[in-house]
Amino acid sequence: MDMDEAEISFFKDGLRLDGRGADQIRPIKIEVGVLARADGSCYVEMGKNKVIAAVYGPREVHPRHLQEVTRAIVRYRYNMASFSVEERKRPGPDRRSHELSKVSREALEPVILTSYFPRSVIDVFVEVLQADAGTRTAGINAASVALADAGIPMKSMISSCAAGKVGDTLIMDPMKEEDNFGQADMPVAMTPSGEITLLQMDGRLSQEEFRQALQMAMRGCREVYEIQRKSLLDKYSQLESEPVQEVQALE
Amino acid sequence: MDRKVVVPGDLLSEDAKRSGEGTFVKDGKVYSLLYGLANYKDKINVIPLAGKYVPAPGDNVIGVIKDITFSNWIVDINSPYDGLLHISEFPKRIEAEEMSKYLRMGSSIMTRVKDVDPTMKVELTLNDRKLGSIRTGRVIEISHTRVPRLIGKGGSMISMLKKEMNCNIFVGQNGMIWISGGEEEMDLALKTILLIEKEAHTNGLTDRIVEFLKSEKGARS
Amino acid sequence: MSSVLSEIRKDYLYNLVLKGERADGRKFDEYREISIEKNVISKAEGSALVKLGLSQVMVGVKMQPGEPFPDSPNRGVIITNAELVPLASPTFEPGPPNEVGIELARLVDRGVRESKAVDLEKLCIIPGKQVWVIFIDVHILDDCGNIKDASSLGAIAALLTTRVPASRFGLGEDYSLPVNDVPIATTAIEFGDVLMFDPDVDEESIANTKLTVISTADGSICGMQKSGPGMLTPEQANRIVDIACQKAREIREKFLEV
Repeated sequence: MDMDEAEISFFKDGLRLDGRGADQIRPIKIEVGVLARADGSCYVEMGKNKVIAAVYGPREVHPRHLQEVTRAIVRYRYNMASFSVEERKRPGPDRRSHELSKVSREALEPVILTSYFPRSVIDVFVEVLQADAGTRTAGINAASVALADAGIPMKSMISSCAAGKVGDTLIMDPMKEEDNFGQADMPVAMTPSGEITLLQMDGRLSQEEFRQALQMAMRGCREVYEIQRKSLLDKYSQLESEPVQEVQALE
Repeated sequence: MDRKVVVPGDLLSEDAKRSGEGTFVKDGKVYSLLYGLANYKDKINVIPLAGKYVPAPGDNVIGVIKDITFSNWIVDINSPYDGLLHISEFPKRIEAEEMSKYLRMGSSIMTRVKDVDPTMKVELTLNDRKLGSIRTGRVIEISHTRVPRLIGKGGSMISMLKKEMNCNIFVGQNGMIWISGGEEEMDLALKTILLIEKEAHTNGLTDRIVEFLKSEKGARS
Repeated sequence: MSSVLSEIRKDYLYNLVLKGERADGRKFDEYREISIEKNVISKAEGSALVKLGLSQVMVGVKMQPGEPFPDSPNRGVIITNAELVPLASPTFEPGPPNEVGIELARLVDRGVRESKAVDLEKLCIIPGKQVWVIFIDVHILDDCGNIKDASSLGAIAALLTTRVPASRFGLGEDYSLPVNDVPIATTAIEFGDVLMFDPDVDEESIANTKLTVISTADGSICGMQKSGPGMLTPEQANRIVDIACQKAREIREKFLEV
């Protein structure tokens, strides 16, 4: 498409194409424990993104030469279903999914206590069922909850959100049109206390814009964390016949 | 309230000395490592809802033979780690060629963890009269995180069950449980154990189980 | 536990069979609870999420114009693929479909193709040059047994919801894909001389052999597949076919009502 940025209006009366304000994330839905075979699982909708994450492990490593004597290895496989995108995608990994798998794994690894499980593997599988920009952030959010659901020991949860720039304005959580025709896209993942585990950017930002975009993305991550936490606590209450008190969320 | 649901990273206490199982200490404060129930006693322990069984020396477990090597049976003990049963740990002196005659692929055994080394090499033993091959009865699986509740303080829950249900019961720390008795007795034992699994973390469970058994046995007589 | 079923579990299932019972209390010809959610993937032209007991399968249908095959210049093209992704089972490995995945895809394809559920002649755009290509993509989410039947059901359910995206390619207005039949696959296993329909995971692993029958709305058979190492007598095959067609009709009626 050869539309000029000047010709597209991403804002109308101060609102974005889908009615959001500049610093609003898309609606999020999280369901915990949706698969029977997996050790832990989570289904996430972020706007029109639909992803499902499953965790298997710790379990035996195959092939054995990959195992590490002192800790568990973590594997992350991001995959898109053929029907998840507008133009049907050939099944199987491509270069993009390999890169996404790597950075997503590196977003989660810092908080997983792998030393608890020598000579084993923690496998994380993320399937994108429908894509609308931000699938890697949705995947990381689902994976983090699936890891908790599987009982994997972690120092904290990981939450992910992207910031972007469109029409010279910084926005939170870009959707597909904003990502395609925007000026910058910056996915971020962090712990609730603000330690960054994923940071990628493509496009063009001034240094000041970067600082602001990072703050914006981190605020988005914080919002996601509250929803992740609530979904886990809600699932527990569903299992219980007794009401259980909640610990105060980390300030 | 002395029990709260927590997620990984939740702050549990400002007193590092209270760090128990399932927690870690950072900057003098105690945080949860797991998604589960935090138990507030002298120490704060977090009991997970899910997770894999990690073998420890002295644990009774039930396993299934999955491979036979020159001098070891490789045993699936429902863990990321397989158990190794060396031929010398078999209660009878047998030759290596005879191994599959006594325990073959798919055989189930009641065994004990003899030792676990730092690389998680798990050694099993059958050298005890209470251990051995499973030929009769049934084996069921519950989440290993519920086994402590099934056993009860000082074995109180499990002794009560064995008596009330007139069954032999062997509880594996790995969540595998063997029951042996009459058909009806085993059905009741199964139902009861699954009920305990479901309500493991609630209060007043022992009394409710006693009531349950009374009503079930009453209905059947 | 691992994928190795213990002998004691096998004995337990066998003893139940001798008593005429199954582990979850079902009758031998009884299906687990089925639910079909349609149009779950709005970006796909058609889609369905099928739950069969705890098994879950997502099927998406995508359509785009493409070249016809040289030997059928005026007919549309159907391409069926199945992804047995590792998320769905501890026994699925990443990578291109293996023989199990390929067999599944070809079985689903057979049902759609041989029943002529989709009239390929009607999918011609420019004779000899351009036709509609239909991609049926099966994505297994949770393998708790009998994903063959779940996949086949998902495929026809997704086709029934499919809208041909003509407007996107300047070929007129969108319209519903005409579907002429509702092929339903029903699978039975043979174990201990007994025939059981809709096997769960344990039952699949002890089965001597499996037979899948795909039947159409008028009760005739448009596809069959025996899989597994064991043998079937002609009586067993006939018996399976009889019950299969009946089960398919029950499922088709319930499903058409939805």
